[in-house]
Amino acid sequence: MSPSDIAPANQTEALARERRTEDFKDGLIREIPNLRAFAASLSGSMQLADDLVQDTLLKAWGNSDKFEPGTSLRAWLFTILRNTYYSLYRKRGREVQDSEGTYAERMATHGNQESHLDLADFRKALAKLPEEQREVLIMVGATGLSYEEAAEICGVAIGTIKSRVNRARTKLAELLSIGSVDDLGPGRTSAAAMQRVGSEPVGS
Amino acid sequence: MSRLDAAMTEPDDPDEGFELVLDPKVQESIGRSLKAHYDDIVNAPVPDKFLVLLAQLEATEQRAAGVSRDESQ
Repeated sequence: MSPSDIAPANQTEALARERRTEDFKDGLIREIPNLRAFAASLSGSMQLADDLVQDTLLKAWGNSDKFEPGTSLRAWLFTILRNTYYSLYRKRGREVQDSEGTYAERMATHGNQESHLDLADFRKALAKLPEEQREVLIMVGATGLSYEEAAEICGVAIGTIKSRVNRARTKLAELLSIGSVDDLGPGRTSAAAMQRVGSEPVGS
Repeated sequence: MSRLDAAMTEPDDPDEGFELVLDPKVQESIGRSLKAHYDDIVNAPVPDKFLVLLAQLEATEQRAAGVSRDESQ
C-alpha cells in the first residue's frame, strides 16, 4: 500500500506517524514495571533503578526508528537498559550500596508474599551473586525472556547463559542454605541435593 | 583449525559439562523466590514522572510534526 496514491498524502503520513508514536509510547508504558524490576535487580537500589529507567526511556524514544516492530520490545529495552547500566551506573551502584546498603534492607514490600523464603533474605543473597550470573538468572527466571533472548541481550552463547543460570542457582542455594533436611523435607542433605550431571542442565 | 571448529569443540565456559545441578525442589524454591522478588517490584506503583516524561516526548514530537506539516502546505 502506497500512501502516495491517497489524496492528502502528507496528512495520511502524518496520521500514520502519529499512530506509530502512540503505539510505541503505549509499549514503553507497558514495559516500565519490568524495566524497574530489572534495573533494581541489576543495581541493587530502587533510586538508581528509576534513574536507569528514565535514561532507558529517553534512549529508546530517541532510537525508536531502530526498533523492529514484531520483535520483542522488552528484549530491546532490556538491551538498552543493560548497556546503560554497564557504561554509566555500575560504579555508582556500588557506591550507593556501600553507603546505604542494598534495597533489600530498605525497600518496603508490596502485596502478599507467599514464598517460604523471606524476601529480604533472598534479596541479600541475590545481591551477592556475581553480576553476570545475577542478570541472567533474573532474565531467564523472572522476566519471561527466553534463553535465546537472554543470550542476545548479553552477547554470549546460549550455553553460556545456561551455565551462568546453573551456577547462580547453586550459589543462591548455598547462600540461603537451602537443600538442607529442615528446609526441604526428610531424606535430604546439602550434599545430596546436588547431583553431578552431564552438560545438559536441568532447565525450568 | 578454523574459528568455527574452535567454537564447536571448545565449551562456552571452562567448567561447562561439569555443572552441579540442583535438586528440582531447590530449583523450584529458588524460582518462586525469584518471581516473588521481581513481581514485588513489577506490582509496585509506577512513579508519575515516567508517564509525564513520555507525554512530554510525545507532545514535542507532535509539535515538530505539526510544524513541518504547516510548512509543507
